[in-house]
Amino acid sequence: MIGDMVDPRKEFGRAVTELAEKDDRIVILSADSGKSSGFGDFMKNHPDRYYECGIEEQGVTGVAAGLAATGKIAVFCAIAPFVTCRNYEMFRNDLGYMNQNVKIVGRNCGFTYSDLGATHHSLEDFAIIRMIPGVTILAPQDPSEIRGAAKAMMDIDGPVYMRVGNPKIETLFEDKPFEIGKGTILSEGDDITIISTGSTTPAAIKAVENLSRNGISARHIGMPTVWPIDEKLVKESAEKTKKILVVEEHYRDGGLGTIVTETVSEMRDVIVRRHGVPKEYATTGTYEDLLELYELDEKGIEKKAMEFVRQ
Amino acid sequence: MLSESRITELKIESEKSRKNVIRMLKASNHGHIGGAFSCIDMITALYYYKMNIDPKDPSKDDRDIFMLSAGHKCMAQYAVLAEKGYFSKDILDTYGKLHTKLPGHPNMHKLPGIEANTGALGHGLSIASGMAMSFKQDKKDNKVYVVMGDGELPEGSNWEVAGIAAKFKLDNLVVFVDNNDLQISGRVNEVMDMTPIDGHFKAYGWATKNIDGNNMSEIVETLDQLPLEKGRPTAIIAHTTKAKGLKEGEDNVAYHYWNPLPENLEIADRDIDERIEQLRKEITE
Repeated sequence: MIGDMVDPRKEFGRAVTELAEKDDRIVILSADSGKSSGFGDFMKNHPDRYYECGIEEQGVTGVAAGLAATGKIAVFCAIAPFVTCRNYEMFRNDLGYMNQNVKIVGRNCGFTYSDLGATHHSLEDFAIIRMIPGVTILAPQDPSEIRGAAKAMMDIDGPVYMRVGNPKIETLFEDKPFEIGKGTILSEGDDITIISTGSTTPAAIKAVENLSRNGISARHIGMPTVWPIDEKLVKESAEKTKKILVVEEHYRDGGLGTIVTETVSEMRDVIVRRHGVPKEYATTGTYEDLLELYELDEKGIEKKAMEFVRQ
Repeated sequence: MLSESRITELKIESEKSRKNVIRMLKASNHGHIGGAFSCIDMITALYYYKMNIDPKDPSKDDRDIFMLSAGHKCMAQYAVLAEKGYFSKDILDTYGKLHTKLPGHPNMHKLPGIEANTGALGHGLSIASGMAMSFKQDKKDNKVYVVMGDGELPEGSNWEVAGIAAKFKLDNLVVFVDNNDLQISGRVNEVMDMTPIDGHFKAYGWATKNIDGNNMSEIVETLDQLPLEKGRPTAIIAHTTKAKGLKEGEDNVAYHYWNPLPENLEIADRDIDERIEQLRKEITE
C-alpha cells in the first residue's frame, strides 16, 4: 500500500525468495550475511541452494562466478562496501570480464549504517562499479521497485549490482514492471529538473512539493537505474529546463551526477549541479543527522534547488 | 595401471605440445615459457588420459572442467587444446598478434576450451570451487581440475576458498600446485615461504599428495587415485622443474618470461624432436 513503511532488506529477501520458489537456478551465497539480507526463510526451505561461506567476500564473488558459469543465477548480498570495494578485482574479472549471471546486492548502502562509521558507509559504489564494463547498476527507490528490480535483475543474463538501504522506506509507487535503463517523470515542471535515485527520492518528492508552493516548478525524474543511464530522458529534460540538479546519497564525484554530466556534456547552455556527499570520510551520527548535515534531506534538497533556480 | 607404452605415448603427446609452445614463441618472440613447460605434462595427462571432454563439442554438459588459475601458463593449455583439435593449429601462429584468440592470459570468450578469464592470481580456485559446488548441487559427475602456481599461494583469496571447498566437501575438485619453486623475484620459499604447502591445504581439510609433476607415470598413477579421499577436495603438490624440457632454461628464473632469438627456438625444437624420436623408438622396441 502506498505510504506503508517497509524494511528494505526484508522486502528484498522476500522478493528473491519468491522468485527462487519458481526458478531453481537461483542460489543464495552468504558471507555471514544471509539472515540480515532477509534470507531466513530461504535458508530453511532450500538448504541445498543456500551456501553459507563465512566472512570472505573475495572468495564468495569468485564462487558466484563459478556457480553462474555452470548455469546458476547466483545472488550475493552483504554490506555494500564489502561487496564492491573489498572484492573489486573479483567483481571486475570474474563477474564483469567473464560476463557471469551474478547479482551482487549491496545493502546498508550510502551512509545508512550511519553511526558505524566510514568503513561501513558506501559512497563510491556507483562510481567504481560503473567502471566495470557490462554491469547494470540499480538503485530502487521504494519497496515496489525493490520487488520489481529483483525480478528484472533475474530476467537479464549478466552481472548486476543493486543497492538497498537499511531503515524503513515508504511505499511510493504502485507495483509495475521494472524497466532497466528507464527513469520516470514523477512530476512535471519547467524551471529545473531534479534527478534523484535510490534512497534520496522520497525526500526529493517532498522537496519538489515545497518548491511548487514557493512558485518553482520542477521536473522530477526518478532514476532507479544508474547504469545504463536513460540518455533520452536526461537529454530531453536538459533541453527543457536547462538546469539539472542530481541528488544522490553518494559522493558527488563519480556517481549519477557525474553520469548525467557526461550525458549532457555536448549540449549547449545546460548546467548540471551534482548534489551528493563531498569526497571525505563522512562523520557519524544518526542517519537523519547525516542526511541533514549533508543537505540530503527534504530541506537540504529544497534549498539546493532554490539556490540553483535563483542563480 | 597403464602399460609402459601408453605412458610413453602420453610423454610423446606432452612433447608435441611443447613443440606447439615453441611455435607460439616463434610467432611472438616472447612468452611465459617457464611455467608453461613445468605444468604441461600434467595438462597433457588430464586432457589425454583423465578428463571427459570432446574437442568437437567443447561446451557439452557433462564435460570435466580444466582451469589455469595461474593464467600466465596459458601457452601450455593452448598447446594441448590445439593438439587435441579444439581449434586449428594455424591459430598458434597468431600468438602475440593483434586480436589473437590466444592472449597472454586466457579469455573464455575468444577460444573454445577456455572456461575462465584468469590471469590475476588467486581467482581460479574460487571460480573452480563454485563450479564444483554447482555440479554437486545438481548431482552431476563433472569434475573440476585446476592448476595453480606456487607463487600465487600467498594470495589470501586462495585460502578463503580453500575453506569453502572443504566445507562443501568438494571431492569433485582437484588442484595441482605447479611447485616449480621459482617466481619472478627468485626462489618461491625466499620470496614468501608457504611450506609446507600440503600442510596448508591439510589444515583446511583437504586430502593431499606430493608427486613429481614431470613424471608421467606418477601423474597417471595419481589421477587413478582421485579423489584421494571421499568428501574432501584434493590438492596435489606437484614438484616440477621450471622450463622443463627447454635445456638452456631448466630451473632458471630468467626463463619465467622469455624473449628468445630464432636460433634458441631452433635448438629447442630440435631437442624436442630428438626426444620424440627416442620415445617412439622405446615404443617399437
